Amino acid sequence: MQNDTGLRTLTFTATREDYRIAWLAALAITIHIAESMLPSPLPGIKPGLANIVTIAALHLYGWRAAVWVSLLRVVVGGILIGTFLTPTFLLSFSGALAAVAVIGLGSLLPGRGLGPVGYCLLASMAHIAAQFYVAYRLFIPHEALFGLLPVLMTAGVGFGLASGFLVQAMMAHFNNDANPDTPAA
Amino acid sequence: MTRADYFVLAGAVLLLPYLYASYWQRGGAGEEVRIVGADGKEILASLREDREVHVEGPLGTSVIEIHDGKARFVSSPCHGQLCVHAGWLHFGGEFTACLPNHISLAVIGPELRYDTINF
Repeated sequence: MQNDTGLRTLTFTATREDYRIAWLAALAITIHIAESMLPSPLPGIKPGLANIVTIAALHLYGWRAAVWVSLLRVVVGGILIGTFLTPTFLLSFSGALAAVAVIGLGSLLPGRGLGPVGYCLLASMAHIAAQFYVAYRLFIPHEALFGLLPVLMTAGVGFGLASGFLVQAMMAHFNNDANPDTPAA
Repeated sequence: MTRADYFVLAGAVLLLPYLYASYWQRGGAGEEVRIVGADGKEILASLREDREVHVEGPLGTSVIEIHDGKARFVSSPCHGQLCVHAGWLHFGGEFTACLPNHISLAVIGPELRYDTINF
C-alpha cells in the first residue's frame, strides 16, 4: 500500500483465531503472574495452574493454539514479572517447550486418546523433567541435585493430576452449556 | 477419564517409588573414620571398635567418640561448637570439622555419599 507520504504501510489483520489465542494467553498470563507471587516451600515447586489454560486450549482449539498460548504465557509473563532471559525464564521456557512437545505426541494417539487428566499429567511431568535437566546441565551440575528430583516429580504428579481434574470439570461445564440436554461426560 | 489416561496415571504412580528408590538411597554405612589433626597427622580408626580418641589442637584437646558404628565430637575447646553440634556421623562420606582447633573427622565407607559440597 502507498500513502501520501510515500511510505509503504503494512497492514496486519487479526483473524478470529488470533483474538481467541490472545484472550486465552491473557488469561494464562494473569494466572502465571498471580502464581509467581505465591510463596513456595521448595524452589521449583508451584501449582502450575496457568497450564490449565493450555490444556483447555488444546481441547477446544487444537494443538497449535495450545503451543501459542503456552509460549506466549512464558515470554510475556517473563517480561511482566521481570525474569525474561534469566535462569528462571530459561527453566520456565524449557519446561513449556517439553510440555507442548509431549502433548503434541499424546494427541497423535489413536482411538479416544487422552483426556484432560492424561494430558495434564504428561505435561506436568515433562515440564519437571525438562526443567530439571536444564537446571542440572546449565546451573547446578552436581549429582546432589538428583536428591530433589523425586520430590519435584511428586509435586508435578500431584499438581498435574489436580489441574487435570480441574480441566475435566471445566470441559464438562462447557459441554453442558453448549447442549444443556446431555449430561456431563 | 479415558483408558489412555489410566495408563498415564499408572505410569506416573509407578515412576515415583522408582525415583525415590534410586535417588534417595543413602551411601552404605561407614566402615572407618579418618581423623586429621592440626599437625596433618592422620588417625584411621575402625567404626566397629568403640573407643575415645583425644586429639591435640592449637586450642587444646578435642575428644572424639566412636560408638556403635558412629563417630562424633564429644567436646572441643572451640568457641562455636559446630563440630559437637554436627552430631553422630554414620554414613560413608559424612564429614565434620572443628576449624578453630584444626581437626577434621570423615567417615569412609564402601560408597561415598558425596565427594564435594558447594555452598
